[in-house]
Amino acid sequence: MVVRWIAAMLVFAIVAGVGLIGFGNFQTGIDEEVFYDIEGANSFALVFAIAVVVAFVAYAAVEYAQTRSLSSITRQFDTRTIVLMPVAIAINIVLGAAVASALKIPIYLDSIGTILVGVLAGPIPGALTGLLTNLLWTYVVPPPFNSGAAAAFAVVAVVIGVMAGFIGRAGWLRPRPNRPMRSLVLWAIVTVAVIAGMSYLAYLGYLAIIGPIAVEVANDNAAFVVLGYLALALVAGNVLGLLYLLFARRDLTAAFVVVGGLLTGIVAALISAPIAAGVFGGVTGAGTDFLVAAFRQAGLDVANATLGQGLISDPIDKVTTFFVVYLIIIALPLRAKARFPQGERLVERGDGTPTDDDGWRGATA
Amino acid sequence: MARSDRLTEAAAGRGLPDFLGRPGPTAYHRLNPLTKATIATTSAVAAVALGGLIGPAVLLAVAVIAPAIAARVLRDLARTSVLLALPIAISALVVNLFFYPEGQTELFRIGPVVATAEGLRFALEILARIMAISGAVTLFYLTTHSSDLVIDLERRGISSRVAFVANASVQTVPAMVERAGQITDAQRARGLDTEGSVWRRLRGIVPIVGPVILGSIAEVEERTMALEARGFTRPGRRTLLWAPADRLAESLVRWALLVGVVALIVVRVTGILP
Amino acid sequence: MTLTLAGVGYRYAGASQAALLDVDLELRAGEVVGLAGASESGKTTLCLVAAGLAPRAIGGLLRGRIAIDGADIDTWPMHRLSQQVGIGFQSPANQLSQVAVTAFEEVAFGPMNLALPRDEVLGRTWGALETLGIVGLAERDPRRLSGGQQQLLAIAGLLAMRPAHLVLDEPTAQLDPQGTRLVTDALARLATDGASILVAEQKADVLAALTSRTVVLAAGRVVLTGATEDVLRDPRLPELGVTPPAAVRMRHAMRGGGVDAGLLDEALTGA
Repeated sequence: MVVRWIAAMLVFAIVAGVGLIGFGNFQTGIDEEVFYDIEGANSFALVFAIAVVVAFVAYAAVEYAQTRSLSSITRQFDTRTIVLMPVAIAINIVLGAAVASALKIPIYLDSIGTILVGVLAGPIPGALTGLLTNLLWTYVVPPPFNSGAAAAFAVVAVVIGVMAGFIGRAGWLRPRPNRPMRSLVLWAIVTVAVIAGMSYLAYLGYLAIIGPIAVEVANDNAAFVVLGYLALALVAGNVLGLLYLLFARRDLTAAFVVVGGLLTGIVAALISAPIAAGVFGGVTGAGTDFLVAAFRQAGLDVANATLGQGLISDPIDKVTTFFVVYLIIIALPLRAKARFPQGERLVERGDGTPTDDDGWRGATA
Repeated sequence: MARSDRLTEAAAGRGLPDFLGRPGPTAYHRLNPLTKATIATTSAVAAVALGGLIGPAVLLAVAVIAPAIAARVLRDLARTSVLLALPIAISALVVNLFFYPEGQTELFRIGPVVATAEGLRFALEILARIMAISGAVTLFYLTTHSSDLVIDLERRGISSRVAFVANASVQTVPAMVERAGQITDAQRARGLDTEGSVWRRLRGIVPIVGPVILGSIAEVEERTMALEARGFTRPGRRTLLWAPADRLAESLVRWALLVGVVALIVVRVTGILP
Repeated sequence: MTLTLAGVGYRYAGASQAALLDVDLELRAGEVVGLAGASESGKTTLCLVAAGLAPRAIGGLLRGRIAIDGADIDTWPMHRLSQQVGIGFQSPANQLSQVAVTAFEEVAFGPMNLALPRDEVLGRTWGALETLGIVGLAERDPRRLSGGQQQLLAIAGLLAMRPAHLVLDEPTAQLDPQGTRLVTDALARLATDGASILVAEQKADVLAALTSRTVVLAAGRVVLTGATEDVLRDPRLPELGVTPPAAVRMRHAMRGGGVDAGLLDEALTGA
């Protein structure tokens, strides 16, 4: 067991090291004609994500070499999970394609299925759902639903699935209704503090990267202003919905939904920005391109413009997605969710099978 | 021979029915699906790694258009890949033409936004790259059945359960769209407004998306039982009725393409060659 | 092969009440047994328990003994049990594997999962298609078939597993009259060929046509059992939530109205 983890961590360190050094010690060391200005600082998240995936493969390889099977991984894949995954993948693709083509708003809504599987079944099924979504979306799905860009972002989807798996495992999406007002207010304050803290850190980082150009950002360009308000409106919509959940249903989990979504969104933005910048020059044909244009107008280079766009779109998108996933989970009857590998962490404490007695026995096969 | 007679004869013969594993119409179609997938992926990656305008254009001609002519799918390819690339192409053109702060040479002005020559060049480079990627992927899509690729991968060792998920996803996407259409009709009959302002349409989506998602998830329980009743829980490989053919020559080509593309990336990243 | 349920009870996961209590049932080779009862009386639960899906696939708690030819099946995994007992459900579309592009591959799905040799898989698939009389559908897309045809396809898929018993939970419930006729005709042919079937049905006419013996459930317990014609004539049926066949209702109505029901009997059994 230990050998596997050591192997995984070793591989992670090697791949991460090579990646970071290869990108030139946090300076542009790449042929600029090709990869459009990716800076090492911007792409560390991508390097780490790739390192995690490769480390996982190393872990699996060692386990296979040791035991000729992959039981610690395949245990998370019971029939019910396998049946859910195509449904989740289809939800991702259909909603994602619809939003990208019909509604030009700066969110994606293509991870609802991934996060749902991650939360219900675990990190590995979630990761696989994300991976297959993006691969199938480019190579297999027929027009008008296919997307030429999706496959390049497969690693982002994988990481989203993994994070959702751990968030579900930690019980963050367990309903916590009918809490006293006291604890609701306390948690609301904690959530706002966490959001404020993360925003402040983001702002600091933003200043550090932008630095001398910061002066030009105070821009009265109409496009920028309109988009700013649109982003604000989406944030406001989310906040209102979550406040409703928090205070009308007195459900504490709303706070966890916000924090989980923000974390996932920020990580996703960090990983996807270098891909969008380096491969597509920042534009992927979705509604988010307007934001990129706005940042470009403000004077940022491609890499930073993409990162800026991501740091606005992704957290909003992921908070919305987690919100939707939470609504789905509350709406599902107990029978539909309890038998999933992580199903028990999604039901209120106290909903359980009565204990065995009097000759009653559970499944033994 | 009438179709029913053919099938009855096949039933008597107890052999593989002729409608399974039918070879494709052209030599390109008959290539192993993994080969075609490798061609598509390495072309796409190479288009990114080459950069500039000439590289992707040459790649497009050699790795996309030429095989498309050989496979007699050029017209479909042109139509489909242009449609696929259109949204990105428009975005790339508009964003980079007008919002390219590094540009100095002004071409023309529309109000406050300035079109620059450098921006135009950047936009064209991205366009060339996008067309190459879109063409490569569409060529694969037009010449290969996804189920053939999954069968081939399963033969090579991919888990049967992963293969199941891939195959089932391909069927579920159109099924879900159909279901959404049925629910939309039902909701319209109940007075749902699907035209009108963006806000109205947005609000109109919720009564459709909800039942589609919840309905699909509710079915998972029964589908799980139906699958388990047909031996799905048995661990290990399952029997395949047929598998696409593979040749040594194709295997060599696949490896050559892979090595070539990796070498290309290394060369470009380390900046050895201009 | 005999499937025996002795003193069987079952509780769904998270439920406080048992869905089945004290059920004794024996399914012998070559018998077609009917299962009747109001909705929520436990018919579906009994089908799931007999096939082993409860508790294996859906959790919950079991009581009592289930045996095949005397051997306890508690430790048998689902893929072993599915080769002894096949179970079909009400919804035709939900039974499709979703990975088959032709009906042939759909039927072959089960044998393929069992990792049987290729020729065995092909032989069983053709055989199942012939038994159900749907060889002509082999090339068709399963999703484009009618409900009745999809149900036949589902049953063919089960038969390809060569189970000793078939358990069918209201196979005609979601079908139109044409589909119902298609399925009941096919089941009648199977019965004449000596198949062992347990079929749950609300439609008493179907029970009358197919089954030799019927078991009636109410609130999870067996309340009536015997030869089908006797059970269907029992006056308690309506209060148990089962609608007797048309002929029986007519007889009751005639007697109630003081008319001699003998004429009806003659008409039905005679010329």
